[in-house]
Amino acid sequence: MITWLTARRAVRSGVIFGYIFGAAIASSAISYTRFYKTAAQRDALAAAYGSNQATSALFGPAPQLQTVAGFTVFKISMTLILLGAVWGLLTSTRLLRGEEDSGRWELLLAGQTTRRRAGVQALGGLGAGVVALWALTGLITVASGLDASVHIAAGPALYFALAMASTAVMFLAVGALTSQLAATRRQAAAYAAWVLGVSYAVRLVADAGLGLHGLIWASPLGWVEELRPLTAPAPLALLPIAALTAVLLAAAVHLAGTRDVGAGIVPDRASRRPHLRLLGGPIGLAVQLVRPAVTSWWVAIAVSGLLFGLIARSAGGTISGSSVQVLSRLGSRGNGTDAVLGVCFIILAVLVAFTAAGQITAARSEESAGRLDQLLTRPVSRSRWLGGRLLVTVVVLLASGVLAGVFAWAGAASQHAGVSLPALAEAGVNLVPPATTIAGAGVLALGVWPRGTSIVLYALLAWSLLVVVIGGVGASHWVLDTSVFHQMASAPAVPPRWEANGVMAAIGVAGALIGGIAFKRRDLQGK
Amino acid sequence: MAAWAIRTEGLTKRYGDVAALDHLDLEVAPGEVVGYLGPNGAGKTTTIRLLLGLISPTGGRGEIFGLDCQRQPVQAHRRLAYVPGEANLWPSLTGAETLRLLGRAWGRRGSGVRVDEAYRDELVARFELDPGKKVRAYSKGNRQKVILIAALMTRADLLVLDEPTSGLDPLMEQAFRGSVREARDRGQTVFLSSHILSEVEALCDRVGILRQGKLVELGTLAEMRHLSALTVEATFTGAIPDLSGVPGVSSVQVDGRVVRCQVRGPVAPLLKALAAADVTELLSREPSLEELFLAQYGGGA
Repeated sequence: MITWLTARRAVRSGVIFGYIFGAAIASSAISYTRFYKTAAQRDALAAAYGSNQATSALFGPAPQLQTVAGFTVFKISMTLILLGAVWGLLTSTRLLRGEEDSGRWELLLAGQTTRRRAGVQALGGLGAGVVALWALTGLITVASGLDASVHIAAGPALYFALAMASTAVMFLAVGALTSQLAATRRQAAAYAAWVLGVSYAVRLVADAGLGLHGLIWASPLGWVEELRPLTAPAPLALLPIAALTAVLLAAAVHLAGTRDVGAGIVPDRASRRPHLRLLGGPIGLAVQLVRPAVTSWWVAIAVSGLLFGLIARSAGGTISGSSVQVLSRLGSRGNGTDAVLGVCFIILAVLVAFTAAGQITAARSEESAGRLDQLLTRPVSRSRWLGGRLLVTVVVLLASGVLAGVFAWAGAASQHAGVSLPALAEAGVNLVPPATTIAGAGVLALGVWPRGTSIVLYALLAWSLLVVVIGGVGASHWVLDTSVFHQMASAPAVPPRWEANGVMAAIGVAGALIGGIAFKRRDLQGK
Repeated sequence: MAAWAIRTEGLTKRYGDVAALDHLDLEVAPGEVVGYLGPNGAGKTTTIRLLLGLISPTGGRGEIFGLDCQRQPVQAHRRLAYVPGEANLWPSLTGAETLRLLGRAWGRRGSGVRVDEAYRDELVARFELDPGKKVRAYSKGNRQKVILIAALMTRADLLVLDEPTSGLDPLMEQAFRGSVREARDRGQTVFLSSHILSEVEALCDRVGILRQGKLVELGTLAEMRHLSALTVEATFTGAIPDLSGVPGVSSVQVDGRVVRCQVRGPVAPLLKALAAADVTELLSREPSLEELFLAQYGGGA
């Protein structure tokens, strides 16, 4: 019963992500055969990226770029590894801790089962979701491998899909454990996200050419990289993956039996001294509510910025000649450090955009959970509430941008990379307009299709991200133009395009205005 | 001062073909305590959400102290306090923080209206709330207390209460009734939607009964009882007369020497019929609100 209930939802989202994984892999492979037809072109690509430590740090090493398989791994695998991890931790915290939060779990536990057995059954359901993810990814990869120009055999294709699904498995297990530790879904997801962030940072340092490659074995994401699908398969790396997963799952099941339903292992303090300073009105409340999530995003942005700054100089030193041309395909021009930072700042832009999306979904959840009623039945107008939330959002985004720039500068300056603080601060502010567009679209959805707010936000984000990742190789500019990250100039490699930024900000403001007017006129809507 | 605390004219809310509320005409005078009854889904909460401006009507209009519910919600909300049946609060805030936030959102120093903090603390003591706990750690009843205190502490001119005592224990239910009586004595208007008929019977001057989105009954309890049937119980020593043909009498039940029946309108014909027989005991009583309510819904007496 529990297995079935969990499996139904896990499989549904596993299938959606399987499609996305498969489509991303297929489109990478096919785009390579279109854009790099001759051996000379392929050699130039390999010369550019093969030993490029900047891209190696960000996306993983790039052996065998002369082959479709090698290119596909380089192009898409890090994105899918991260996406798989995020899927895993969100799915397991949602279906384990989230169900418990909502009280539905208690109804199930009132039946003939124990907490431990119920935990095992729910994990079985989650396993079905992973199988769906792997099967669909594998199926589409095998199918695209049949294409004569792509030519990837079924075995290696399925192994590749397995490698991509393996992060999902590990982080599903991480989420299962943090669901036992934390007392709320948000807290459980935050713990798991920290594990992911640290894993990525360790892997990034290991691949940055600083002579620390041994560190790769200290990161679960590093193990996936060491599986080396399609290029030099090393299935032995499955051992630590399986071992970690088993240990985490065993710990999760054990803890599920020792704690009370609804409680976490990490004590959630029930009482505390009141913090009244901020609670003078809706803006203060918004600040108090978003503080934990925004702090996490800021730490993630600052740490990423610092790491990017640290590797920029040494990685920039490896760029020369044809590298520059290829980097320019990703929108980055100039030489050395600036070019590397230009690419790195696209990743920071994604983080800032995620921060923006989180702010708007948080506003919507105030409405859907019925808490907004408490404010709007007092002398607080809808415009004052929404305006306050958006003001907080804008300040958060500007601070995120500046933070990204300043920390990247600090990292780079420590390596004597010769970058100026004003230039990087400007590059940081340059990250804000795309996030503004995303936030504006979210507010528009909040106004006209409230139940679809998070769907619109994350679909737009995922689309913009995929277009940049896949399309960088040369898609039609009509497609590229739909990505907010493509519209953003890759500062500091090139100067920010303030007209484009103005347009993006204006689209955001227009979306927020229309959405705000619609929100003022419509009925409040719960879940 | 406006003539009515609440006034609606043909207030209607439709969801597709379904009328959640159908042409509601309702007037509540300042200082009145009005009960609002109806089974689940009759449109009670819809009425309240329309009055609060949280949803907009498909037809008609509503006013709070002469202020349009849709066009002047902020001004209207300065005059009222609302208690929903479900206490959806911020789980990470403590009780004290929630009360501070909701108090400040209602009125600020300098704006003329503000919460009396001494009265707030008195309410916290009366409802035995531990304000240092996080909302997440409260039981359903304790969350409901927070929301009740937040409304009562404003001493607003109008209290709009939507099943306010769900989850409260009987002692707290008494504390709630005491607070509502206090509010009435201070001249506050109370609009109380409830399932608990004894609560409405104990507190309300007038009662409205809603059925499938339509107001089917509105009046004082005395008026409603007058219009409704009287229960008569007679005990006989001798032969039991046949009362079924007596005008106005219905639901005749014979139980040994005891006859129970309902009588509507003048009681003279029934008394005549009884006088002819040997009656040793005669009891009559007015219907309880529960009987009135059940009669409206065809559930029995």
